[in-house]
Amino acid sequence: MSQKGNFAKYLNRMGWLFIAPALTLFTVFMLYPIVSSLYLVTRKWKGSTDSFIGLGNFVRMANDSVFWHALGTNFFLMVVQIPIMVVLAMVLAVVLDQGIRRFRGAFRLMIFLPCITSLVAYSVLFRILLQTNGLANNLMIGSGLISQPIAWLNDPFWANMTVIVAMTWRWTGYNMIFFLVGLQSIDREIYEAAEVDGAGKLYQFFRITLPLLVPVILFSVVTSTSGTLQLFDEPNVLTNGGGPANATMTAALYIYRQAFVINTDFGYATAMSYVVVVIAAIFAWVQIRLLGGERK
Amino acid sequence: MSMVTPRSVPRFFLWVGLIVWAFLSVFPFFWMAIGTTLNPNDVVKGILIPGNDFLSNVDKATKNYNLPLLFFNSLFIATMTVLFGVTVNALAAYGFEKFPSKVREGFFGVLLLTLIMPQIAIVLPLFREIAFFGLLDSSAAIILPFLMSAFVIFFLRQNFKMFPTEIIEAGRIDGAGEFSIFWKLAFPAMKASFASAAILMFISQWNSFLWPLMTILTDANKTLPIAMSSMMSAYTVEYGGLMVIICVSLLPVLVLFVTMQKQFVAGLMGSLK
Repeated sequence: MSQKGNFAKYLNRMGWLFIAPALTLFTVFMLYPIVSSLYLVTRKWKGSTDSFIGLGNFVRMANDSVFWHALGTNFFLMVVQIPIMVVLAMVLAVVLDQGIRRFRGAFRLMIFLPCITSLVAYSVLFRILLQTNGLANNLMIGSGLISQPIAWLNDPFWANMTVIVAMTWRWTGYNMIFFLVGLQSIDREIYEAAEVDGAGKLYQFFRITLPLLVPVILFSVVTSTSGTLQLFDEPNVLTNGGGPANATMTAALYIYRQAFVINTDFGYATAMSYVVVVIAAIFAWVQIRLLGGERK
Repeated sequence: MSMVTPRSVPRFFLWVGLIVWAFLSVFPFFWMAIGTTLNPNDVVKGILIPGNDFLSNVDKATKNYNLPLLFFNSLFIATMTVLFGVTVNALAAYGFEKFPSKVREGFFGVLLLTLIMPQIAIVLPLFREIAFFGLLDSSAAIILPFLMSAFVIFFLRQNFKMFPTEIIEAGRIDGAGEFSIFWKLAFPAMKASFASAAILMFISQWNSFLWPLMTILTDANKTLPIAMSSMMSAYTVEYGGLMVIICVSLLPVLVLFVTMQKQFVAGLMGSLK
């Protein structure tokens, strides 16, 4: 009996030993920063000295129109870019899975390829492609699509379109893979039965494929939403730190700039990051409700 | 029962749509490869016929921007993160899964909770901490905070669930210690999962931008993404050299993708950045 108790103790000790390195790193580089941010958020920096300001950072934030505009940009990009990308990814997956048979592997490979680029690398590429005298404009003028070059990077509206175009290029193939996996789990016999009943391809898509893909759509939307909430690399590189008239300024970018570029105010930056955390927490809650419920 | 024509017309559009998107996906790579052989003006204009400036572009990338150093810095940081990170996270995943206890399960819950933390919220206090340790502008600053990954622990734990406990018990009867059971029995059986975790950690560190942007202060410690973005905001941009650097920055990930496609996709699918 006591031998068994000893063995249980031994196992427990080994368990702690196995997780000790990770737990140490977690405490030092995750837990401590989170706790210490509670101190940062109450401080105000002037140059390199800081003083207590209490909730003053939050008052300042409430009146900072740039911050709310930046948060608005995040939501604008979510609302416009994610639907385009998800629909595109789904259609491409359905076509690859059911529409064609030849060169399937080659198409899948080509469409997935943008995923190997780093966010900075593809942003740099698109920034060169989309210059006013760049290739994209030259091709479109040459083919008569437009008569005047588009100011992709220097016009507030088009700067946002640039971010949308670039993100769609980078992430559509990635999301397509989720849909391909989802499509593989659909029983082919359902389609055969529908075929026998004389249902057309479109009817099959809307009545069979689409409903069965709802979990994948939710998953795709939810993960893209949390990615877009934290968007930083693309607007920073593509539009050189926020674009014309802060058009492409996102929350993460503005926070970074308050802490490192236009200011050194860590207290104010931390206060704004709290808002992003709260939104992320709400999204996570919705995510668990949507995806967790869907599995049953 | 159905006629041929109404079916083949939509089919034609499917093909056109697919070809257009596949072309758009691949075209920037093609343009970039051509760009490495052009002079700066032709890169921007988008000449699609190879020029003969390849060697001088490589020369500029090497001499003006010190490409070998950038590549080495990025590679060193990513490799160290993979070596130590996968070890630390795999040990933790194994510990959580194979030595169940209520207290540790509580810690695991806290670990998962931090997954929802946006990076921008962590890096501000983390920067102060790293500065306090005197680690700013060092590779340690980029490696240490990202060795432990709650996601990788979660991912590996899910995979360890498939490793039968009977094998561990058999190992104990044979008198093997817990760490040698982990190393000699569990590790070889789980190689594919480890490869996915390694690829995931390698890519996220190789591509990392926000954190190095904060902590790297001197040219000697720059990584590829940092260098590419600062080249882009310089007054005159040496586009040909830049194209060479972008190509080189894509190479390791491309090699991983081509050689280990299955684990690559599994790793990427997991990484919900």
